[in-house]
Amino acid sequence: MKWTAKDLDMYIQSKEYVDTVLIPLVPISFGGQMKQTGSMNEFLTILSLEIEKQMKGRILLMPTFHYLHDEMDKIERLKGWANEVKENDFKHIFFLTSDFEWKKEEQELENHLVWIPAIPLDSLENDQAREMINQQVLQILDIFTYNWKNEKK
Amino acid sequence: MSKHNVSRRQFLNYTLTGVGGFMAAGMLMPMVRFAIDPVLSVDKGGDYVATKQKVSELTTEPTRVDFSFKQVDGWYESEETNTAWVYKMDDGKIIALSPICKHLGCTVAWNTDKSNPNQFFCPCHYGRYTKDGVNVKGTPPVSPLDVYDTKEKDGILYLGQLKPHGEA
Repeated sequence: MKWTAKDLDMYIQSKEYVDTVLIPLVPISFGGQMKQTGSMNEFLTILSLEIEKQMKGRILLMPTFHYLHDEMDKIERLKGWANEVKENDFKHIFFLTSDFEWKKEEQELENHLVWIPAIPLDSLENDQAREMINQQVLQILDIFTYNWKNEKK
Repeated sequence: MSKHNVSRRQFLNYTLTGVGGFMAAGMLMPMVRFAIDPVLSVDKGGDYVATKQKVSELTTEPTRVDFSFKQVDGWYESEETNTAWVYKMDDGKIIALSPICKHLGCTVAWNTDKSNPNQFFCPCHYGRYTKDGVNVKGTPPVSPLDVYDTKEKDGILYLGQLKPHGEA
């Protein structure tokens, strides 16, 4: 489900079925990294929407967590988000990002971090881009199903 | 009868009636057009979308068929890609099922649950459907998968409107 009034209505009615939150993490930079953060934003937006489409009934896609490229307290801020989500009875929190900085902090985040390098979608044909995204979505879905299965036992 | 017989009163009557008539027509015509508009509009519901799937390549095993069409979503017009699970019945009839789970809208896939082969399986809450799209009792979904209208043209599969199971 997306963070829209309509989908959130659906969430409120079927809370017991939705136990997973997905938060995309996207940096913002005006320096030399500007274009790169643009690619990440483009890629993660499409990727997270596609994941949401496939797993609509169990995943709540939160609005993207944006932060400045060199922001000092981004980890603390993100932890704040995660705590809030946990307090609202979600069992699984997944972060989705292309920014390698998070990979270094993985231990500290205490939740699942899915790091996936951004594909520069602007240099691909439409069909090609779609195919690549589809492939990646399928692989990421395995991460979710794996975690759900293991929680049951 | 000479042409000087038109009196001033008559002349004004004719002129005013004429002008009044034009004005009335000017107001009524758009109203009539609006009123009958629903009848004149082209029925878009019957549109079929071409897929890239050749009908001759379909088997009795459900295959994933992607197709895209233009969709207006709020202010944006975007190219939306949808999927259908398509297979042939033994008598050659083509069945195209929507992959959207009737429970909470996840995407189901064919034959992905090892303990329940040859069924459609929803990974979110383990809902299952038999090959004809009917929900398996005891799993979360409460109704069968929707069905697409299908059509064959030049050997290519066309998909039409989505309908509740049993009506297509």
